[in-house]
Amino acid sequence: MNIEIADLTRRFGRTRAVDGVNLRADTGVLGLLGPNGAGKTSLLRMLATVIPPHSGTLRLLERDPSEHGPRREIRRRLGYLPQNLGYYPGFTVVEFVEYFALLKEMPPRRASAAVATAVERVGLGDKAKAKLRTLSGGMLRRAGIAQAIVNEPDLLLLDEPTAGLDPEQRVEFRSLLRELGQGATVVVSTHLVEDVGAACAEVALMHQGRIAFQGTPDELVARGAGHGAGDAPLERGYSAVLAAARA
Amino acid sequence: MTGTVMAADPSGPRQAHLRLLRLHLTSRGTPNGLALLAGCAALLRLVLYLHGFRGDGAAGRQTLLLIECAAASVVAVAARNPFGESELATGRLLPPLRLSAALLLSAAAVAALALGATGAGLPGGGAGLLRDVAGLVGIGLLTAAALGGSLAWAGPLTYTVVAEFALVEGWQTPWTWPARPAHDAGAWWCAGLAFAAGAAVIAVRGARDTAGEA
Repeated sequence: MNIEIADLTRRFGRTRAVDGVNLRADTGVLGLLGPNGAGKTSLLRMLATVIPPHSGTLRLLERDPSEHGPRREIRRRLGYLPQNLGYYPGFTVVEFVEYFALLKEMPPRRASAAVATAVERVGLGDKAKAKLRTLSGGMLRRAGIAQAIVNEPDLLLLDEPTAGLDPEQRVEFRSLLRELGQGATVVVSTHLVEDVGAACAEVALMHQGRIAFQGTPDELVARGAGHGAGDAPLERGYSAVLAAARA
Repeated sequence: MTGTVMAADPSGPRQAHLRLLRLHLTSRGTPNGLALLAGCAALLRLVLYLHGFRGDGAAGRQTLLLIECAAASVVAVAARNPFGESELATGRLLPPLRLSAALLLSAAAVAALALGATGAGLPGGGAGLLRDVAGLVGIGLLTAAALGGSLAWAGPLTYTVVAEFALVEGWQTPWTWPARPAHDAGAWWCAGLAFAAGAAVIAVRGARDTAGEA
């Protein structure tokens, strides 16, 4: 298992952002759904080893990230797109992605080709030499995805990756997700249930820091049969699970 | 894949590390930082040309301390992390990169001011300049770790206000090292400790993450 979480908790002040989460995931794409403030980003930040949990156990790529050596190895094999992508505006797209390839200790002889591949995969080949300051929000998001996948990670964490992408780009991105999920564990946090339906083999729905549902998209659809608000079957399943969790 | 995307091709580990260092320094705004340090040196030269620092008195030291504070602030602000959490989630190369950037810019700050004062007598001399700038940089780096790179100037500025007061009042504590003579061992220890602490903290933890502060 690439992700093994048991009774994981993270507090911010008195708020329990993540409250006793249990989750296991292996190769494939896992969609993380939930309303604002459900704890999706906090969970992803712990998976990215950016913040430590307050209690519970967390194992990533069969290693314990609380220990220095294993954390280093996890980070080398990790790809992470945070919700708020920071960047240096004076970098070109290639420099931005290359910086992360070298930081993640890619073998020098492979780094150049890997950068080119990552930039092409997110559809920014024609903007490779453009400064980041000149890119639109959607293009910046795609550059962020490129830095996350440049090292061909075994564990890829994407927080709101489709924010700012137009419908055509989202369709292309879902295809990329499916491709990436064939060889890695991909966790995608999103508000867009249609992305989950199209690209994810498994779904976890968070509510108030807890996992309210985990299963396949079809199982989520089944939860909404006959009730739940929404225009699409997945939306009805999403609404039905949330309504049950709130009750 | 098309042939349009071309990254630099570092053929060996050494070239790759040098390329990474160059990208890291660029992302921290080092070229702009060096230009600002050159500006500090020019300002020092101008002050020396117009007035000089008369003797070793408090007034001369106060002016010099303000310029040292500006140079140290440039070094400290450059510790900011424009990439936020995506950089924090990378491997073991980040601490040595942060340390290298801090040391290189600190050396550049001292060298620039020393160059600006070439041929003129500074209160405390070159040794005093090195001590004062190193201590102020240390405070700036600690501030960057606590408040984020964008606010890193606040620490050196606050310390400078206190040290200016110490100069006027003639405080003896070595913690206000700019008010002590250049040969004062206690002042050297305190400034050195501040620099070592700042460099160590910024290497291990980095500047406080304030995403999107680029």
